[in-house]
Amino acid sequence: MSIAIHAQSISKSYSDDHRALDEVNLSVNLGEVLVVMGPSGSGKSTLIRTFNGLESIDEGRLEVVGIQLDSNQDERQIKRIRRRVGMVFQQFNLFPHLSILDNITLAPIRVKKMQKKDAELRAMSLLSQMGIADQAMKRPAQLSGGQQQRVAIARALAMDPEVMLFDEPTSALDPERVKEVLDAMRTLASAGMTMVVVTHELGFAREVADRVLFMDAGKVVELSDAKTFFSHAKEERSRRFLNQMTN
Amino acid sequence: MANQFKARQQHYRRWQQKPIEAAFSVLILSLILWAVWSTGSWLIAGADWRVVTHNLPLYAFGSYPADQRWRPLVWMAALLLLTITTLSGDHLPQPLKRLQPFLPWAWILMVPAGVVLLAGSANLQAVPSRAWGGLTLTLLLTTASGFLALPMGIGLAIGRTSNLGLVAMLCRIYIDLMRAVPLIAVLFFGQLLLPLFLPVEIEINRVLRAVMAFALFAAAYVAEDVRGGLQSIPRTQAEAAAALGLNASLTMRLVILPQAMRIAVPALTNQAIGLLQNTSLMAILGLIELLGISRSLLANPEYIGRHLEVYVWLAGVYWLLCSGMALLAKRIERQGRLSTSS
Repeated sequence: MSIAIHAQSISKSYSDDHRALDEVNLSVNLGEVLVVMGPSGSGKSTLIRTFNGLESIDEGRLEVVGIQLDSNQDERQIKRIRRRVGMVFQQFNLFPHLSILDNITLAPIRVKKMQKKDAELRAMSLLSQMGIADQAMKRPAQLSGGQQQRVAIARALAMDPEVMLFDEPTSALDPERVKEVLDAMRTLASAGMTMVVVTHELGFAREVADRVLFMDAGKVVELSDAKTFFSHAKEERSRRFLNQMTN
Repeated sequence: MANQFKARQQHYRRWQQKPIEAAFSVLILSLILWAVWSTGSWLIAGADWRVVTHNLPLYAFGSYPADQRWRPLVWMAALLLLTITTLSGDHLPQPLKRLQPFLPWAWILMVPAGVVLLAGSANLQAVPSRAWGGLTLTLLLTTASGFLALPMGIGLAIGRTSNLGLVAMLCRIYIDLMRAVPLIAVLFFGQLLLPLFLPVEIEINRVLRAVMAFALFAAAYVAEDVRGGLQSIPRTQAEAAAALGLNASLTMRLVILPQAMRIAVPALTNQAIGLLQNTSLMAILGLIELLGISRSLLANPEYIGRHLEVYVWLAGVYWLLCSGMALLAKRIERQGRLSTSS
C-alpha cells in the first residue's frame, strides 16, 4: 500500500509553554479516509494545516504525496504540495467578489494554465455532482452555508487533488445543512479519494472513516481502526471523550 | 378623527408648555426666510452677472487660442459623455450596453487623449501649456494626477504591508513624510525649486510638474486608504488562495486587492474630491486654472468690485464638479456591492 502522508515525530509550539503538536507520528495510506478527533485545542486543526504548509513545523519530518517538508519551510516544495492537495475550511473561505463559477475556475486557469472553456466545463460538471449547477452564476453570499461548503469542495476538486483535507467542514453550518455536505464527502470517499477529515460528526466517522486518530494536548492518544475505536477504544482518554460526545 | 383631534390638542399644549422653544423656532424660521429672501433678490436683481456671462469661454478654456478652442471643448464633451454613460449604467440602450466593459479603459484613456488634444500633435497645431487654462486645466490636473496617484498609492500600500522589511520601511517613510508636509509646500517645490536643481537644458512643462507634485502627494493618502482596505480582508482569504496553489502575487492581484479596493472606494472618493478642490492652489503658483482665470478677470478694471458674483459662480461650478464625482463614486460603489453580496 502506498502512502499519501507520512509524519515523523513532528512538533510545533506557538509559545514556550504551549505545544500545539508534540511528537506526532502517523501515516495516511492512499485511498484511505482518516478522521481526526479530539477536544478543542488538541491540535487537530494545526496538524491538518501542516499537511499543506499553512502551518510550519518546528521539528520532525513530513512527507506529503512524496514531497518532503521539514522545519525550514521550502516555499517551492510547499507550492508543489498545494497543487496536489485540496483543502476545505470550516468557514468555506470562498472569494466573495467572484461568481461561484469563477471561484472554481480561478486556480485551474491561473495555476494549472487550463483553457478557460475546459476549466468551466469541468467546474460545471463538479457543480452538478454537488447538485448545485444552477447556482453557478451567483455570488457566494447568495448561497446557503451548505451550498457554499459544497462549492468549496468543488473548488478544491477542480485542481484534481490526490489528497483532500477537511478542517471541520460542518462546524459552521446550521444543523439541517450538515447532511448535504456530509453526503458530498461520502460520495467522494466511496470514489476512493484519500481524505483527512477533522470533524466532530460521530455518525460520519463511524460510517466513512477507515481509521480514527484521537488527539489530546498536541499528542496522538490513539490511532485505530474506526471499528475498534468506536466499539472498544484502547485508551481511557478516548473512551471518556466518546462518552461525552454521545451523552 | 378623535385621535387626530387629540394629537392636535397635544401639539398646541406643547407650544404652551415650552414658550422658549416656540420662540426659538419662530426666530430661526424667520432667519432662514430672511436669508433665502436676501440671497434670492441679490441673485436676481442685485448682482451684475456680466462678469460671468461675458467671459464664459475664458472660464472654460483660459487663454487657449480662440481658433483652437474646439480642442478642449471636444475633450470636455467627451469627459461629460463618458460620465453620463457611466452613470446611466443599466439604463443604457441595448447596443450601448455592450460597450460597458470598456468603460474603465475609456476613463484611463481620457488623460493621454486630453494631453494630446491640448498640446497638439502631427496634425494639430502645437499649443504651449502656458496657454492652457480655466476649467480645462482644472479637469486635466485632477484627472491626470488622480490616475497617476491611484497605481502609485496601491503600490505603496502593498509595499507597506509586505513582509520585506526594507520595502515596507521605505514605503512607510515616504507616506509619513508626504503626509507631514503641507500640499502647498510640495507644489512650491515642484514649481519653483525643482527647476533650480535640474540642469538648464532640461525644462519640464509646468503643468506636468504640477501633476507630478499632486500625484506624489495624493499617492500617500491613497496608500493609507488602500491599506485600510487591505487590512480589512480576513487572513483566511489569503489562506484559501494559498491552499489552491496561487502564489503571493496572484493572491494579491486576484483575491485580496479587488476586495480591498471595493472597501476603499468611499475613502478614495474623498481623496478625489479633495484633489479637485486642491488644484485651485495652483492659482497661487501661476497656473490660470478655474480660480486663476477668475482672479485675473477680477484684476480687470472693467469688473472691479465684482468679487461676490465671481466667487458665487465659482462655488457653483465646483459644486457641480464635486457632485458629478460623488455620483460617479456612488455608481462604482454600487457596482462593487452588487458583485460581493445581493
